Amino acid sequence: MHRILIVSEEEFLCDVIRLSLADMRADVRCASGLAAMERLSRRMLFDLVIVVGTSLFFSGRDVVRMLRPPGLRRPLVYVVAWQQAEQSVLSLLECGVDQYLTFPVSLQRLRAKVANELSRQL
Amino acid sequence: MTERLLIVYTALAALATAVLFAALCVAKLRARRRSGRDAVLRSKYLRILMLYLLSGEGPVPRFPLIRRAGARRLLAETVAGLTGVTCGLDVAPLRRVVAEYGLDRWLLGCIRRTSGCRRARGLMLLARLPLDGAVAARAARYARSRNRRVRFQVLMVQLSADPSMALRLMAEYPAPFSACEVGEILILLRRGMLPIAYGPLVESPCRNLRVVGLSIVRQFGIEEAERHLLRIVDGDEAPELGREALYTLCALRRPLTRRHVGRRLTAMSPAERKALMRYMAAEGYSPGLLRRLFDARERTYCESLVQSYKRSLA
Repeated sequence: MHRILIVSEEEFLCDVIRLSLADMRADVRCASGLAAMERLSRRMLFDLVIVVGTSLFFSGRDVVRMLRPPGLRRPLVYVVAWQQAEQSVLSLLECGVDQYLTFPVSLQRLRAKVANELSRQL
Repeated sequence: MTERLLIVYTALAALATAVLFAALCVAKLRARRRSGRDAVLRSKYLRILMLYLLSGEGPVPRFPLIRRAGARRLLAETVAGLTGVTCGLDVAPLRRVVAEYGLDRWLLGCIRRTSGCRRARGLMLLARLPLDGAVAARAARYARSRNRRVRFQVLMVQLSADPSMALRLMAEYPAPFSACEVGEILILLRRGMLPIAYGPLVESPCRNLRVVGLSIVRQFGIEEAERHLLRIVDGDEAPELGREALYTLCALRRPLTRRHVGRRLTAMSPAERKALMRYMAAEGYSPGLLRRLFDARERTYCESLVQSYKRSLA
């Protein structure tokens, strides 16, 4: 079974994304912040991490390195946020983020992307 | 006698303080309990709503405790929250939920009883629900409100109820749109609810339509609009529009060594030129170009700005 982690400071957004992935045969966990994300990612290796918002990346910590053990390309990191500025998106991609989606997000599209990525990992 | 009166007075004051403190504690505890209950209920409503949306058919689901005070507002907030952050949702199931529980009518009632910011918030919730024309017509009575937020949210209600009238509604809006208001309209556009092409907006003589058009060009990076932008930069219309067009050209990173740009720059105040310089440095324009555009007095500032600008924060 795949493991997905959703990191969001807003419970509502976390629930929306979690419920949109509900019937995906995956173990979906939620973390409310950087500390919870670090704790969970130390305990288990996730296949995919969906970070809602970009504030985590401005905390001064290397979020992607924190999630990805050295030498591994897993977990994939998706960011869903409101920002559209090219500079911010490029900076995030340079940080190691694999996909960037903007709000308002199409839940079907997000689901399809996640399903494709996870089936490719099998 | 005086001593006894003093003792009675002190005792009464202490008792009143204790009663007030206890009442405060009780109110806080009740508020915390209520917010906890609301969070659980909101989460339940979202789950039911999402399952209904995923199944896409069948009878409208039953939402628990919907008759409880505040539950309908929670349901309205959940529907509005969901439509606010998503696009491409099937509106039909949401419309059935709104109709079954009379959320639009109920919100209109709340809006009638409130005023000011609360009324604007009610209208904002209403604008995010799937609506019909009748509800928008009933909300139109607040279009002449003294509160700017209320007036703008009425426009948003009308836009979401009948997107085909978007151009006319925005053109007839009496006040100039602020940056935040344009942002809200663009969110509606990004949700796919406004079928608007940038061309007629940028060409329009109406200030509000032009500002929305320029924001669309900037947000979606439409480089084909450069010709329109240069015409606005060169035009004799409101200086604010020329400035906006110039910022849009910068956002698109188009070459700025043009006659039109030079003319506009000379018409701008030193403070405006300084602000533009900061924006250009942030957008990554080279010091060479900045030197060509600005005069000798401004060069030092411009060079230090480019050298010290910290762009890659993430």
